Amino acid sequence: MAICTILQTAPSLHSPCSIPTSFPQTQVIFYTCSNGGMRVNSRRGGRSNLVVSCSADSNTVVIGLAADSGCGKSTFMRRLTSVFGGAAEPPKGGNPDSNTLISDTTTVICLDDYHSLDRYGRKEKGVTALDPRANNFDLMYEQVKAIKEGQAVEKPIYNHVTGILDPPELITPPKILVIEGLHPMFDPRVRELLDFSIYLDISNEVKFAWKIQRDMAERGHSLESIKASIEARKPDFDAYIDPQKKYADAVIEVLPTQLIPDDNEGKVLRVRLIMKEGVKYFTPVYLFDEGSTISWIPCGRKLSCSYPGIKFFYGPDTYFSNEVSVLEMDGQFDKLDELIYVESHLSNLSAKYYGEVTQQMLKHADFPGSNNGTGLFQTIVGLKIRDLYEQIVAEKAATTVEAAKA
Amino acid sequence: MATTVPGVSLSAPRAVTLKTALLRPQSSHARLLPLAPRRRIVLVASSPSTPPEISDKVADSIKAAEEACAGDPVSGECVAAWDEVEELSAAASHARDNLKANSDPLENYCKDNPETDECRTYDN
Repeated sequence: MAICTILQTAPSLHSPCSIPTSFPQTQVIFYTCSNGGMRVNSRRGGRSNLVVSCSADSNTVVIGLAADSGCGKSTFMRRLTSVFGGAAEPPKGGNPDSNTLISDTTTVICLDDYHSLDRYGRKEKGVTALDPRANNFDLMYEQVKAIKEGQAVEKPIYNHVTGILDPPELITPPKILVIEGLHPMFDPRVRELLDFSIYLDISNEVKFAWKIQRDMAERGHSLESIKASIEARKPDFDAYIDPQKKYADAVIEVLPTQLIPDDNEGKVLRVRLIMKEGVKYFTPVYLFDEGSTISWIPCGRKLSCSYPGIKFFYGPDTYFSNEVSVLEMDGQFDKLDELIYVESHLSNLSAKYYGEVTQQMLKHADFPGSNNGTGLFQTIVGLKIRDLYEQIVAEKAATTVEAAKA
Repeated sequence: MATTVPGVSLSAPRAVTLKTALLRPQSSHARLLPLAPRRRIVLVASSPSTPPEISDKVADSIKAAEEACAGDPVSGECVAAWDEVEELSAAASHARDNLKANSDPLENYCKDNPETDECRTYDN
């Protein structure tokens, strides 16, 4: 563990009429850096110069999660932080409307905090939050880069209730930083900082079903208003959000089921996990035989399933001219047996022990999607990210040892 | 095939359904309540309603969007107004989730005091 010294010098201590004080004019604060290194460089406030420095290199791993509003980012974040260990909570004693979540290892920041136009600014200019003109990518890049390099930053807070920017909060470099929101892969400079990226691709039919579920009980909403909102936002969504999926290392596609003909209820889902090949520290999950094409119905003599059953598919494919592996699950788990049976037939899960996927799913059985492919694949992606993080840390440790030997 | 999962007890594996587990997410742990008599609070599983200050904003934003779009349904003003509806509807949903997450007084207490007797959990 490194110990850092902070030297804080307050300006204007020597005003002409001040009485000489007996207090030391330099405050020394000790900080411990749990992740190897930490530097605080506060230039924005201008009031005091706070400089923290540690000699060791930091290794904040940065993960990007992109999806439209109301498409399950929060649920995914809760599953992800749970896999990393420890519950993620809003910053203690901070702004109650903060969008940040902090756990022992992970800090999740919401990219809405980088809105350059608040709700009133967007109204005046007639632009949506999806529009890049409503977002400050320069600041986003500057701050994500600083955190990755081990420096704490004063990040703005976008208040989703009032629609304005609240005073900033201090974000110190965590082991894993997740940036979630509408545009984590939009700006090429920010994209370059990501160690891994995920896109949640919710089909129009499912998006509509989910928003009905979310909003129908809300006063003032109706089928028409839900539909109107989706349709009004769609051109900007198609122009600025959807194109990011081609950059993602993993895409989770959520589609209506094919097990029930003409189903449009959106209750049973067909979910596809599209995993890019050749990504450093990431080995795609496979079913039975890596690289083959397999269609699998686990229900039969050994396992009984209820209507409409479960169907899996696995195989190689191309996605935006990238080589990918696709794992697909249609249907839903009805019994614990089914989940365990499926887990035991998947390989390269990066689980620490047999049954970890099932255990994670059960632990959060109250989260949406815990009985279908969305929960299963979100959990698997969580395990893969944990594995990626551990590989990066191990590699850094090995290089440090090598350097010490030389 | 073995059906043992660490931390999950499967006393009657064929009978345990995921639905049962859905109702009792904490089933892998047994929380021992102190023996001292205490009034039991029974929580009815109904989803909490949106806090009124957000609820009002959602309703107002829908009215405003309908008005903004009456003249020109593809204008920037109309699109921005419906985007505001989405933003507030999402905020309302998050607020409901937070209320649900913080609705158990014992869970809330234990978050800050995990070491107390009431909050100890024992693995089977």
